[in-house]
Amino acid sequence: MFLDGFILRLREYGVPVSMTDAVDFYKGMERGLAPDLDSLFLFARLSFVRRVEHMDAYERAFAFHFYGLDLPRVAEGDPELFNTPQFREWLKEAVRKGELPPHALWTLPPDELMKRFWDTVRKQAEAHHGGSRWVGTGGNSPFGHSGNASGGVRVFGEHREGGRRSALKVIEDRRYIEYSDDTSLKSANLSQALASLKSLKPSGPRDELDLDATIYQSARNGGEIDLVFRRAMLDKIEVVLLIDNGGTSMLPHVALTRLLFAKVRDRFKRHDTYFFHNTIYGSVYKDARRFEAIPTARLLQRSPETRLLILGDASMAPEELLYPGGAIAWDAWGAEDKESSLRRLEKLRDRFRHAVWLNPIPKEAWREAYGRTTIKKIGEVFRMEDLTLGGIKRAVEHLNRK
Amino acid sequence: MEFLGTERYYLDPELGAIVNMAIAMEKPLLLTGEAGTGKTQLAFEISRSLELPIETLRCKSTIKGEEACYVQDTVLRLNDARFGTSETGREVNNFFDYVIWGPIGRAFRADERVVLLIDEIDKTESDVQDNLLDVLEDCEFTIREVNQVIRAKTRPVIILTSNAKRELSDPFLRRCYCHHIAFPTPEQMREIVNLHFPDLDRGLLDAALGIFYELRGRGYEKPPATSELLNWLGALNHARVTPDRLNIPYVGTLLKRTEDILSYRNGGGKRARVN
Repeated sequence: MFLDGFILRLREYGVPVSMTDAVDFYKGMERGLAPDLDSLFLFARLSFVRRVEHMDAYERAFAFHFYGLDLPRVAEGDPELFNTPQFREWLKEAVRKGELPPHALWTLPPDELMKRFWDTVRKQAEAHHGGSRWVGTGGNSPFGHSGNASGGVRVFGEHREGGRRSALKVIEDRRYIEYSDDTSLKSANLSQALASLKSLKPSGPRDELDLDATIYQSARNGGEIDLVFRRAMLDKIEVVLLIDNGGTSMLPHVALTRLLFAKVRDRFKRHDTYFFHNTIYGSVYKDARRFEAIPTARLLQRSPETRLLILGDASMAPEELLYPGGAIAWDAWGAEDKESSLRRLEKLRDRFRHAVWLNPIPKEAWREAYGRTTIKKIGEVFRMEDLTLGGIKRAVEHLNRK
Repeated sequence: MEFLGTERYYLDPELGAIVNMAIAMEKPLLLTGEAGTGKTQLAFEISRSLELPIETLRCKSTIKGEEACYVQDTVLRLNDARFGTSETGREVNNFFDYVIWGPIGRAFRADERVVLLIDEIDKTESDVQDNLLDVLEDCEFTIREVNQVIRAKTRPVIILTSNAKRELSDPFLRRCYCHHIAFPTPEQMREIVNLHFPDLDRGLLDAALGIFYELRGRGYEKPPATSELLNWLGALNHARVTPDRLNIPYVGTLLKRTEDILSYRNGGGKRARVN
């Protein structure tokens, strides 16, 4: 059917679409649930989008497929824009058409470039408002080849009653961008990350008497009492959070991560936070100013079932990580510092099966970042995820592993 | 049968369309979103507007799922078996005299269509959700003791709400239509306030809404939501004061956590604006 292309497009944008969804969707279309494009927008969203983190991807896919608007995955005002293919293509075209000087990326201030880009997007959106007839581009890129609508599908529709806003207006708001899986952690999507953390599995002993099962089993045994125990419903796990608060680059993430864990505190049996600078040597610190030292050896005595989360950018000079006595900070120098930090990290990993390293640097940048050597080294020791919603979710999955 | 909202509840047109699509497709509708976005209220409004009775299951973390369908009053039956039923009209041999129906049981056994609200499904354990899943999908459950299937006569309109306390499983989400209710925009909020305070002074409302959305943007641990706004407006209206940005009267009705109030007094959200 004519909407197959759109369904495929959704998959391309990372919205998981199942066969059943598609069948149900066509069933609804046959019943006339989506007589116009705006209704189609809502109905297809209901049919295919299950999680709020896919919402933004859905809206972008819809905008691209039906309006020929190629929205980048970032919000307006986010300098990440410069890394998106949409921006690069727009820039190339603008230079080719002479609207921008050849080395615009260097000669124009970034704010100006961003503004120009978003103005273009708005203008393209504008062109779609206000008519009841609408022509799609069938997925041609809108930048550059303006007005070329070949291969498009054509949909006629009355404007809906009831003051509902048009699909395009809704999309333009980008209301769900904060929830998308690859946005970094910020206060707006904190609750999303919380939900992931709370699904850490209970792992306590079976120490609660299951009365119903006991009665059932005892009756089956002909009256011989057979006690059945189960795990308490609450997640009784211990969590240790190690935070690198060394460089200024880490500061914003520290506040958020601590807030995040403070909110789930009551879910854990025990939860401790310690600090370190760049990487872990002979001691970690109880306070953020790193005065009150706790020997790393003591940390290693904790239950192996403890969940260990390390937050740090893993970026430093390789010597700091690889050689004994490599610490640059005065507070880590000590007679006992005979092992390289890497060795100590390995010891932590060997002690705690459930350990994960969270890195605020986005995953795509790890290979080019300043600390790429040490990121790679540490990534070989610990499972490393970035501090995005998706990353936290994967980290929790890793921690839940049997 | 079309749901159009009622005079006491502001219905976002988009949400209205979604409810009608879910009813037409006979799919359970899962509503997520911040507290105070009217998720639970919506189910009651559907019931009122379509004139259908409503059955409510309020989930707790200890719920197992089966008792949402039925429980057997074994103690009563044992008592009757031992001491006789006398004039109660119960018959010890009749199993169904000792069944107490839960909300799902009542909804399925009803002669007319009902609205079934399952509130805060995220509080339950994930295997409970999986159990409920099949029950809701097929609209039937089995009474284990007598191996009898109870099937819904007419499919109820099923509304589930979740505060996203924890993640719902993928299979569960797959069987529902999911909608995330975004926090009301200032314009929508104006409509909502209008329903509660029809003759509020415009100047007061403008000032209050401005302050309210600014406070929300400051990243408090518990940002004020719709119900806080309504309480606050009630207090302001009662005392006939117009708030100003520097000194917010009755700030305790908006901010509930001590830390938040302290950081407000120290001049704004301290951990705000990290992004």
